[in-house]
Amino acid sequence: MGFILISLFIILMLIGIPIAFVIGIVALLGIMNIPYIPELTVPMKMLNGLDSFVLLAVPLFILAANLMNSGKISEKLIELSLAIVGPIRGGLAHANILVSMMFAGVSGAAQADTAGVGKILIPSMRKKGYDTETAVAVTAASSTIGVVIPPSIPMIIFAGLTNASVGALFLGGIVPGVLIGLAMMIFIYFMAIKNNYPRYTRAELKKFLKLFVESFPALLTPVIIIGGIISGFFTATEAAAVASLYTLLISMFIYKTLKPRDIPKILIDTLALSSLSLFALAAASALGELMSYYQLGTVAQDFFSNHIGAKWVFILIIIAFFLFIGTFMDAIPAMILFVPVILPTALQFGIDPIHLGLIVVITLAVGLVTPPYGLCLLLSAKIGNLSIERSFAAVVPYIAIIIVVLLFIAFFPDVAFYIPKMINPTLF
Amino acid sequence: GCGSDESAGSGSGKDGGKIKIVAAHNQTDPDNPYQDGLLKFKEVVESKSDGNIELEVHAGTIGTEESELVEKLKLGAADVVLVSPGFMTQTGIKEVDLFALPYLFDSYDHWEQVVDGEVGDKMAKIINEKSNNDFKLIGYWSAGVRHYYGKKPINSMDDLKGLTIRTQTSGVVADYWKQTGSVPTDVAWGELYQALQQDVVDSAENAYPYFVQQNHHTTDNGKYITETGHDYTTRFLLVNGNKFDEYTEEQRQIILDAAEASVKAEREALYKQEDEAKQKAIDEGAKVNEIDRQPFIELAKPLQDKAVKEMGVEDLLQKIRDAK
Amino acid sequence: MNRFVKELEKVQLTLGVIFLSIFFIVIMIQITTRHLGIPVIWTGELANYSFIWAIFMGAAVMVNRREHFNFDFFLKRLKGKARILLSIFNDLVLILFTIAIFYYGIQVVQKFWDYNWTALPEMKMGYVWLSIPIMGGTMIIYTLSHLVNHVKSWKEKGAGE
Ligand code: NA
Ligand code: NA
Repeated sequence: MGFILISLFIILMLIGIPIAFVIGIVALLGIMNIPYIPELTVPMKMLNGLDSFVLLAVPLFILAANLMNSGKISEKLIELSLAIVGPIRGGLAHANILVSMMFAGVSGAAQADTAGVGKILIPSMRKKGYDTETAVAVTAASSTIGVVIPPSIPMIIFAGLTNASVGALFLGGIVPGVLIGLAMMIFIYFMAIKNNYPRYTRAELKKFLKLFVESFPALLTPVIIIGGIISGFFTATEAAAVASLYTLLISMFIYKTLKPRDIPKILIDTLALSSLSLFALAAASALGELMSYYQLGTVAQDFFSNHIGAKWVFILIIIAFFLFIGTFMDAIPAMILFVPVILPTALQFGIDPIHLGLIVVITLAVGLVTPPYGLCLLLSAKIGNLSIERSFAAVVPYIAIIIVVLLFIAFFPDVAFYIPKMINPTLF
Repeated sequence: GCGSDESAGSGSGKDGGKIKIVAAHNQTDPDNPYQDGLLKFKEVVESKSDGNIELEVHAGTIGTEESELVEKLKLGAADVVLVSPGFMTQTGIKEVDLFALPYLFDSYDHWEQVVDGEVGDKMAKIINEKSNNDFKLIGYWSAGVRHYYGKKPINSMDDLKGLTIRTQTSGVVADYWKQTGSVPTDVAWGELYQALQQDVVDSAENAYPYFVQQNHHTTDNGKYITETGHDYTTRFLLVNGNKFDEYTEEQRQIILDAAEASVKAEREALYKQEDEAKQKAIDEGAKVNEIDRQPFIELAKPLQDKAVKEMGVEDLLQKIRDAK
Repeated sequence: MNRFVKELEKVQLTLGVIFLSIFFIVIMIQITTRHLGIPVIWTGELANYSFIWAIFMGAAVMVNRREHFNFDFFLKRLKGKARILLSIFNDLVLILFTIAIFYYGIQVVQKFWDYNWTALPEMKMGYVWLSIPIMGGTMIIYTLSHLVNHVKSWKEKGAGE
């Protein structure tokens, strides 16, 4: 039966049925095949899957990112990044990465960053003589940092699935996120020397200070979010709400770039984007239900303890598996389906849930730039008007960079946990 | 091994053939007493039926929310589940909340005498009738006795004044804590460790095996434990009555026997764990103190009276008080 | 048909945005009251349930707009009638599934209508479960209209060839 369902999954997906519905259909057919589980479990589980307070953070973080883009706050941040890293060779590309890191501190997702930054920087990079491939690839690859540096929607989902602390996961994401950004900048630096990419003249100190002061309210957002969560002032969900409200207020009253009449459109965009990923989550909950009746967690545990004794092999298998899943599935449903399956084995191997969470989230972040379902790559390629094939070829070196950092974190977790342990030793 | 062996679903009990029973609780921790209870259930069912009844135990795998387990029981997607009174009231049977009243019981002896006696039978009948036979109670388990733990020890009720406490935020339990002067606060169980750590909430209340397993006793706001003993908790072991009626006489007897064995096993495991967890807390630096419970009990009485009046079970409360 | 569908989408989208706004406001109330030390107990449940309504309404609208992500490389390779035929087949698969959601959704509503909310016992769980058949029902309507359009263009192609 398992074989039939997996084949059906692949066929339905290939003929063009939307992936969220493929997940739901397979769940329904699978449950129909088990006589003692009534079919209405499927719609029930879809609703129950959404009935969780942590999930409310998803639309709220999307709202915050949409407000940043509509309020042109992203433009301010781009200017500031240019002033900071512009004078380095390949300055525009460096700025692209740096602004994604700043954006990551506000946004819990990656797509909003690709859209907001890409629309501005891809055309200007081309104008300055970068090839389109580089412009598209840097934009797409750097926006994956959005889910590694906190806040992060996938981390929130992971925490909800495993009862791990959201605060600890968030803190754990800072070092890997910054490492990925820095590694990409080093790569760009050598590319820039080889291809003689342009650089900007150093901004005058006065102009720099002016930019910094102007960007300050926006730069404060990550501090409010992360500080608020870590100090226990509010939960992740509340932080997301505060971030949206704060962004709304600064763009309306400080930057004056947002008018009340813009708000309905922003709300509609937010609803659209969040209902897409959360409907997929709902469907995945139904399929996850089917999988838990087969007790796949125990099956996996038995398999690994009987056949694979080594922890490092298990970690490599997890990474390879989620790299594969990420090519055709969103991070959220992928985690709903498979984290419960691997968690018992991970615990048995003595892998800390926070560590596991970092590995899974970073691995699935790679999925954002791997076709066929790599949302950031698709979006970036569309903005740059470049074919998916050529975009993917250009993004491969960056994927390698992310994977190197990922392996580093996977096997030397203390690197990621050094700073968080300093801030709050009891979290781990 | 997927699917092909599922042809003998649990609906086919009538002909006396093989049946499969899905039993579930909401605790993912494999050392929880619930797991001991359900494993005992499985052992007895499978040995007494010579393997003709297969029992599958789910520890949190088909739902970590009790409300979800209750829904599944009603639908027949689970056959044996464990639920607390608080969640049963959601199904519209308000009488079950009786067992959640603060200071209803003063010891495990008292509690066992009540739930295993006339009051327990009466409650089982109410649940069965009010749910139209969706739920049939086959045993009373416990999740331990709940105590206060917080950032300072409680020596008298005045010490609670102004303290935020993580507890239920609605119903009689919340009303009770408000009357003590504390402020009931809503914090998710999974976030409570951090909340106690970071001073989001001043205190909480739960039974030793539960909060020690989560290391709450190692936090700044969780290391002073005062044995308030305000709730000798009751958990309902339920089956779906309609499905139960379809089983053969013999199968029904086996299930009831297994339920009885599981009740014994669960309570034994719990009592043992309660002592072990308390010792562990003390060994790891928590400070435990006892307190004169009388003022707390007095405070609870009028609330109990008012609550049972609304539930229409004044007679049961009287019987519980008489059993002391 | 097309006009009706357009109106329906507008109503449903508005409903979704209203629920989204409700849950946003409720969360703000929750943060404020908690820091003022006033325990407001109903915020969590109300926020969760408005969120569910918002997402399900949004998901249905996205069916009409065909925004749910699918792989179209196979579809794109097909030409003319074959492509329309596969689209029709896909519409039928979706209709079958959404009918199941609608049908079982109604059963869920009936079975659990009378269960009550935890913090607001006077509210029925039925109000929450109702979002499922409404999502399923509107998804059926949207997909039916896609089907009608696909059949129309299939007929036109047939006349042209
Ligand atoms: Na982020
Ligand atoms: Na992908």
